[in-house]
Amino acid sequence: MVHAASKPPGEASAPAPDTQHQSFLVYDRLLYLKIAVAATIVAIVLYLAHRPDGTPYGGTWLGYGLGTVGALLILWLMWFGYRKRSYTANQGKLEAWLSAHVYLGLSLLVIATLHTGFHFGWNIHTLAYALMCVVILSGACGVFFYVYCPPLMTQNRRGATMTQMMTRIAALNDEITSKAMGLDNATVAILRRSTETTIVGGSFWQQLAGHYPDCTTAAALKAMTKIGTADGARADALRQIRMLLDEKAQLLGRARRDLGYKAMMDAWLYVHVPLSFGLLAALFAHVLSVFIFW
Amino acid sequence: MLVEVTFLTRRGRDAIMRKSQSVTCEELKFGRGSDNEVQLADIRIGLSAAVLVRREHDFVFQQSGDTVLKVDGSTGASLVVRPGDRVELGPYEVRLTEAPEGFDAALTVELVQPLGDSLQRLAAANRIGLDKTGFSKRRMSWTFFWVCVLGCLVVPLVAFGIDNGQSWLKAGAPTTLLTLANMTWNVGELSNTHRTFAHQCAMCHETSFSRVPDSACLDCHRNIGGHVQPAVAPAGAAAAASPASPAHRLAQTPCGDCHREHRGLRGLVRQDANLCVSCHGSIAETAPQFDVRDVSGFPAGHPQFRVTVVADAAKPAFARAELGSTPKPADRPNLKFSHAAHLVEKGFLTPQGQKRMVCADCHVPEPGGQGFMPITYKGQCQSCHDLKFDAELPWREVPHGDDLGVRAAVEDFYAHVVLQRGVPPSAPPAEPARRVPGAPVATPAPAPKPDALTWAREKADEALTLIYNDKRGCAYCHVMENAADHRVAPVFMRTRFLPNASFNHARHAATDCADCHDSRHSETSADVLVPGIDSCTGCHGPARASFRAQSQCVTCHAFHRPDFGPMRRTAAVSP
Repeated sequence: MVHAASKPPGEASAPAPDTQHQSFLVYDRLLYLKIAVAATIVAIVLYLAHRPDGTPYGGTWLGYGLGTVGALLILWLMWFGYRKRSYTANQGKLEAWLSAHVYLGLSLLVIATLHTGFHFGWNIHTLAYALMCVVILSGACGVFFYVYCPPLMTQNRRGATMTQMMTRIAALNDEITSKAMGLDNATVAILRRSTETTIVGGSFWQQLAGHYPDCTTAAALKAMTKIGTADGARADALRQIRMLLDEKAQLLGRARRDLGYKAMMDAWLYVHVPLSFGLLAALFAHVLSVFIFW
Repeated sequence: MLVEVTFLTRRGRDAIMRKSQSVTCEELKFGRGSDNEVQLADIRIGLSAAVLVRREHDFVFQQSGDTVLKVDGSTGASLVVRPGDRVELGPYEVRLTEAPEGFDAALTVELVQPLGDSLQRLAAANRIGLDKTGFSKRRMSWTFFWVCVLGCLVVPLVAFGIDNGQSWLKAGAPTTLLTLANMTWNVGELSNTHRTFAHQCAMCHETSFSRVPDSACLDCHRNIGGHVQPAVAPAGAAAAASPASPAHRLAQTPCGDCHREHRGLRGLVRQDANLCVSCHGSIAETAPQFDVRDVSGFPAGHPQFRVTVVADAAKPAFARAELGSTPKPADRPNLKFSHAAHLVEKGFLTPQGQKRMVCADCHVPEPGGQGFMPITYKGQCQSCHDLKFDAELPWREVPHGDDLGVRAAVEDFYAHVVLQRGVPPSAPPAEPARRVPGAPVATPAPAPKPDALTWAREKADEALTLIYNDKRGCAYCHVMENAADHRVAPVFMRTRFLPNASFNHARHAATDCADCHDSRHSETSADVLVPGIDSCTGCHGPARASFRAQSQCVTCHAFHRPDFGPMRRTAAVSP
């Protein structure tokens, strides 16, 4: 275990063949989970064995030790942001980095908590700790969504890509337009709103929630259903348009769900990354202030 | 009328395709519907959009639906057009041209605003992906980073620079935003006594990136007691001592090693035994001049208590002796006192009647409850042991604790008596000697009458003998320095027999005195009734004890001893 831990990520042991996908969570037979659990257990045992005067806190030898480990972990974990954009071959496999990032990041929650000795207050030190907790928890949410969403996306897309779905929606708009040429102006106006203001994405929250109460296609389909019977060519056109609108509505639902899943996989990063940089500043202030007022 | 309608389709920048057709009609109808003479196949055009009619020599465009009609920019329901005019009908542009020969009119129709590619329009109209919604992780990251730099670094530093110039004792000074900003760097709550200047960091932290210097503490605590007796370790000697010596280590130990601030209301003083044991664990070997025994812990590792007893009350001189040692430690206060005689179970007759004495009759707690008030004759003894000396005048007493005063009082008294009453008559003559039959009757000689001074002195001497005797007089309780001269030996009674430890009697008030002090069997004041360490360990355990009171060194022992002089003597040599 110790031997493996001393190796840089990605060089821990003989990796599985690249031809087969391996989740970062089980990378190298859970190597980094084992390292993280071992580090956490060591920290807990030291904390329980440590008998400082009064209650444990960050200023004892163990407190300084855990704090130093925690600060270095934070810097290393943030380096992952650079590493994942670097495509040079000498820094180990990205899967290994991600696996280590996840598991060591979770262990940081325990190490930093023990560093505090459970002393909290209205100060920048607790702010840094709180930011770290939010960053880690948002990362945990990210891991959950990365595990939870992809199968649902595959199931939802039914083999189609988002581009293919968008192309089909555009084609349906064209067909609806074509079929509507001979219809009355009022019906055409409804159908025009459907084709010209087809909402797929939208705002941040709309994409995340997948809630589209003003969907023009749904409104058009509802309106077409109410129009009732007609005769001759008009009836045939209306029937065809209803079928096209129905297909478009279903396709839109799938496209919006796909965007929702994608948004879930991305949204946590809007918390994780900015707060990580805030944490970096707060961590620096925490260390600086402690040593200014030693 | 016969109209030539030409549809224009542009291909590239300059190429124009023309497709003409002749239409014969009464009026020329434009619209999306198939019944129009000019069918405009665009969803944006109404089924029937406009009609072109001829009125005498003019042509008039009439709006026939919802589609907006404009002629050279002017809108209206019915507009006259002439050759060259530009008519806008939805996305189409219609121009009336000069009619070729045989035609009544001619016009061109061109779709100038095509719908374009529907996929492009769909993609352009929608924000696909969170990165298209205006939220930028990079921008948010930099913003948050600088906000935290500002809030966590810049503001506290500025507040530190400004707020530390204020007087921390300013009456009624309000809590300002500056104060709060200053406190954001506070690593923990201050002890209760230091909270008055909690926001004045520079009160203690005189320089950055260094520990709080002793001078910051001693500025206020200048009279704090030292830890070693100056007579044993004079100031300056510690600096010259070996670096390994306890005195040198003590001199080099800053206040902050023992006093940890920012730990909340629990206080500053470190409680752990290691702090003391690091020196006291081997102090008997490393510093024998202190005459202090090694202590490695409590209760295991702590030696039996040593009491300080009076060796010579006259000097006074003291001796240290371990409890339980042989011979037993003996206190010599120059008193003769039997606890046993006073703590009689059935009681005894006193001037106030029958009484059963208890400890509290004599041992009055100090106001703080720590110890007891000193025992005095007036306070504890006088009510039973009065100092009367003449049965005829029982209200007269001699003073206590003043041998010369006693003699003066007694002599003055009898001088006063003889002056008031004169010399009393002599005692009746002795019975006459048996006369021998026949012998003349002997006339007894008259007894010499003493003078007043002699009488007074004789009476005073008689009284002093009575006052100082060992039956009911002074010597009953006091050791006599010189019985013939009626001099009582000086008395020195200790109030504390363990001066290097503190014991709070008030906190142990629930415990009966006899549980610790075996006073009912003490016949002499030489007995030391202080209990040994075993009496403590029944209730007090080590620092981590679960079923006994957790006890540290500082539970009983004080580091700073005002009786050793100020701490500055040792602290002053520290860097």
